[in-house]
Amino acid sequence: MSLPHQQLKLIVNQSPEVLERILRVARHRGFKIELLDWNNQAGELLLTVSSSRALNLLKTQLTKLVDVKEVIDLNE
Amino acid sequence: MRGADLLVSYLKQEGITTVFGYPGGAIMPVYDALYDGGLKHVLCRHEQGAAFSALGYARASGQVGVCIATSGPGATNLITGLADAYMDSVPIVAITGQVASPVIGTDAFQEMDVLGLSLACTKHSFMVTDKNELASVLQQAFSIAKSGRPGPVLVDIPKDIQLAEVEAALTVSSKDTIAEFDPALMASAKELLSQAKQPILYVGGGVGMAGAVSQLQDFVDETGIPSVTTLKGIGAIPNTKPYALGMLGMHGTKAANLCVHECDLLVVIGARFDDRVTGRLESFAANARVLHLDIDPAEINKLRQSDVSLCGDLRDMLPALSMTMSITQWQTYCRDLKEEYKWNYDAPYRSIYAPKLLNQLSEKLPDNAVVSCDVGQHQMWVAQHMNFTRPENHLSSSGLGTMGFGLPAGIGARHARGRQDPIVVVSGDGSFMMNVQELGTIKREQLNVKIVLIDNQRLGMVRQWQQLFFEERYSETILTDNPDFVTLASAFNIQARTITMQADVQPALDEMLNSNGAFLLHVRINEADNVWPLVPPGASNADMMEKV
Repeated sequence: MSLPHQQLKLIVNQSPEVLERILRVARHRGFKIELLDWNNQAGELLLTVSSSRALNLLKTQLTKLVDVKEVIDLNE
Repeated sequence: MRGADLLVSYLKQEGITTVFGYPGGAIMPVYDALYDGGLKHVLCRHEQGAAFSALGYARASGQVGVCIATSGPGATNLITGLADAYMDSVPIVAITGQVASPVIGTDAFQEMDVLGLSLACTKHSFMVTDKNELASVLQQAFSIAKSGRPGPVLVDIPKDIQLAEVEAALTVSSKDTIAEFDPALMASAKELLSQAKQPILYVGGGVGMAGAVSQLQDFVDETGIPSVTTLKGIGAIPNTKPYALGMLGMHGTKAANLCVHECDLLVVIGARFDDRVTGRLESFAANARVLHLDIDPAEINKLRQSDVSLCGDLRDMLPALSMTMSITQWQTYCRDLKEEYKWNYDAPYRSIYAPKLLNQLSEKLPDNAVVSCDVGQHQMWVAQHMNFTRPENHLSSSGLGTMGFGLPAGIGARHARGRQDPIVVVSGDGSFMMNVQELGTIKREQLNVKIVLIDNQRLGMVRQWQQLFFEERYSETILTDNPDFVTLASAFNIQARTITMQADVQPALDEMLNSNGAFLLHVRINEADNVWPLVPPGASNADMMEKV
């Protein structure tokens, strides 16, 4: 059975390594990236993930990244 | 001034007096600036030693620790120390040299993508790409390291930026203000607390990091709630308090684990449900409601759903939550268990029983002594059998469990604390060899650090697990070929002696503590001695093994 897809929108600082930081946290915390829409100019990332873990675990960890200004849950 | 001069003057402006490091090619301009820059630099003998010394300095002082290394291998050698600081929320700023900007990404000599390496083991990291941003990056680095839940921050500075002409920095970092707790949630928390008949405080390292020890002790005195601590929480509540039950978890006290198992409300204060604390998570305080207080929202509901949670400054939250309670029956029950399962030091044999030795050492040390321990059986014995009255007096690699931590962290503590505060490193024969080169730092700086080396000629904790859970197949844990530790110490001009019998312990401890300068006390113990009690892997904390 495939896991449901969930979407987050991230507003970030445009540091060169910001994507690496976000992707590393997602992988390490047990979330698979299904789709990625990155707008460098706007500093916006649309992230579609799936996991057996609760999305809130990823949201709170991403919120802690210094370069992440806002995490918006598009599923609510 | 050069970027390197700006760095040194900035560190002084921040109030930093001592830094730990090791020079190399890509950090040479910084070492040139340090040459007459008016900052004390301690030459450690390996960059990992520098990182752990900065960590020990930070833990023992409550200030930000600073370590410096060159590019490539210098920076990679820092990584374990940064990971340790990250797991234990210790504020450190690591400065690394990087190859010059034009050759970054060309596989230049001693080039490594240190920013990339730092992502998993720092709270945040920077590579300076514009000389005009150096001052602001340093300011941000210090702010981030000490704000909120503290942690390590790395600043990678290319050599050309260290050499570039820059304007002096005029400002210093500040600590971000902590968001205030939600008063409505506080009302719910108080309601939850007032309903509890059998509450327990589960006290973690967050209390010490928040500087909330006195608020916690006031809270304990007013509410009378029995308490247990994590490894990093040790010292936040002295064991002499009547309902302080000691450490919980895998090698915790039986009283602590049983009372947590039976509580109806678990008040979690600056702790994070580590697996070494909880044992099998599903059976951890299974019938309790949970009230969780922490500064980090990411720790709330991470492993255990809380009934009420509060994020904010413990120094504000604990007084606001405090109330008088009528829990006499529960207090008596907990105190009786504490008495029933108190440690017994009546070992029948003539050889040295390490728990007893550590307890004797603890009784000889004043309250202002710092004990820095390594990782393994001796670490658990220190946690169980030594008494601490402040968390910053007990340095232990808790989250990462890094062997080799003790000696360099003790060196850092030596620089953080005044001459009147004794510094004692308690190590094991396995751990000690992992950063043994730091004896060179002790010699060079003529440091008064006492070292108690508990030697069972084994990698004892792994040996214990091989005995209990791997059918006594002692794979690569037998160290009967250890060096002669007394000769080793004497090569660094450090006084040393070996003891093997229980009767030698008291005079040897006195000799060590009364000696001038560094002293290594080599303590031979029986290799069969295990750390008890023990929660076996996958078991509930209520099912502790007490012997084989």
